[in-house]
Amino acid sequence: MTGRWRALLRLYAVQGSWNYERMLGVGMGYAAEPLLHDLATADPVRHTEATVRSAEFFNCNPNLAGLALGATARAEYLGAPGEQVSRLRTALCSPLGALGDQLFWAGVVPVLVGLALIGVALGAGLWPVIGFVVLYNAARFGVAVWSLRTGLRSGPEVARAIAISWLPRWASGIGPYAAFVVGVAVPLAAGWSFSHFPRRGIVGALVVAAVGLGLARWWGRGFTTVRFALAAMAAAVLLRLMVA
Amino acid sequence: MSLAFGTEVALAAWGTIVGLDLVSAPQAMLSRPLVAGAIAGVIAQDVEAGLRVGVVLELFALDVLPIGAVRYPDFGPATVAAVALAANAPWEMSLGVSAALALVLAVLGGWAMQLVRRANARAIQRHAAALAAGEARAIRGLQYAALLRDAGRSLGLTVLGLVVAAWAASYLRPDRLTALTLTLVALGAGVAAAVGGAVRGAGHGRRLQWLGAGLAVGTLAALLR
Repeated sequence: MTGRWRALLRLYAVQGSWNYERMLGVGMGYAAEPLLHDLATADPVRHTEATVRSAEFFNCNPNLAGLALGATARAEYLGAPGEQVSRLRTALCSPLGALGDQLFWAGVVPVLVGLALIGVALGAGLWPVIGFVVLYNAARFGVAVWSLRTGLRSGPEVARAIAISWLPRWASGIGPYAAFVVGVAVPLAAGWSFSHFPRRGIVGALVVAAVGLGLARWWGRGFTTVRFALAAMAAAVLLRLMVA
Repeated sequence: MSLAFGTEVALAAWGTIVGLDLVSAPQAMLSRPLVAGAIAGVIAQDVEAGLRVGVVLELFALDVLPIGAVRYPDFGPATVAAVALAANAPWEMSLGVSAALALVLAVLGGWAMQLVRRANARAIQRHAAALAAGEARAIRGLQYAALLRDAGRSLGLTVLGLVVAAWAASYLRPDRLTALTLTLVALGAGVAAAVGGAVRGAGHGRRLQWLGAGLAVGTLAALLR
């Protein structure tokens, strides 16, 4: 099977045609094309069927999409029945979504963003920002390569390969570190931003923060901090106009 | 503000890249406000403004989980426009107005993303026969057209933001106290967003304890500085 590197590169745009009908489906079909290329000469009918399946509905965390891509491509080359390939693809949606979101959105990203915020707040300038981008992309590239390799090696057995890999342990283990780092970063970033203001102003800002947190707790769903911020700023301007 | 035309063009290009980065490609975290703001600051030759705007908007972004079908604000192009407005002005005065502009643009960007996704779905429906026939060319065409749509959305959003920023810099001149108040309100709301998002994400178990420990350490460090 050739075209692994091209498939890996195309995985970086797997969400490029995201839509409410097939979600990542077309992006997966786009990434699968180089992998399925050899099938076109070996078995043209199978190649056409595989291409159709590759662009059907699919959704998961984009950073782990390589696992499903590799596994389904391998299953196509092994000659697995079409329904089995489709079932494998569907079965991978939820676990890859949950594991990827836990690992990246609730783990790696908050940890690295938190560290970058701490660095900026401590006066390191642009370096923490550069470090964040480099580290995140190194981690993401490593995971993308591992995902595609593991998928291609395991084929229909990919679920077992995932279960015995580092992925479930890391996905569930990184959460507390992310929470701690974000916890340290927020007061430091706030302190850095407040450093040029008088104490009275800082107290006022903290009152705004407390009101925002209270409203979020009371209102629950439907309340967004962006709306709160805009409403609070509009109220502040109105108050200033009235006083003036 | 008063940025050179070349700088505005570079900011528009950067805004397009970070808008694409959020979902379409390459998701390299360039769209995080801290990154988008810092680089926009370098382009506008005011790194301090870029970092200040980036940090306050990053606090808001910590409240957002950009997962799948959820509608979320697009902070990337919004941050670029906000940095353009804040650049070369005392940040304490300009941060509040810049943050307000960024928050409105971010919501607008999230809404525009829904339009792009619906347009992608319509394009797929139009090419349903080609997809059912396994035409790889149709898949490629759909992918490239969708990327182009998102690039157009990002560019449009950034240009709109830069135009509004230029207008605001010329005509919107709040007095000192109002400007400082807006900055403090933006910072307070940002802290509420970051803490609220972190608490919600932490749930009730061990993560919440770690978050509490982190907040205690961070507060102590901030007070000692």
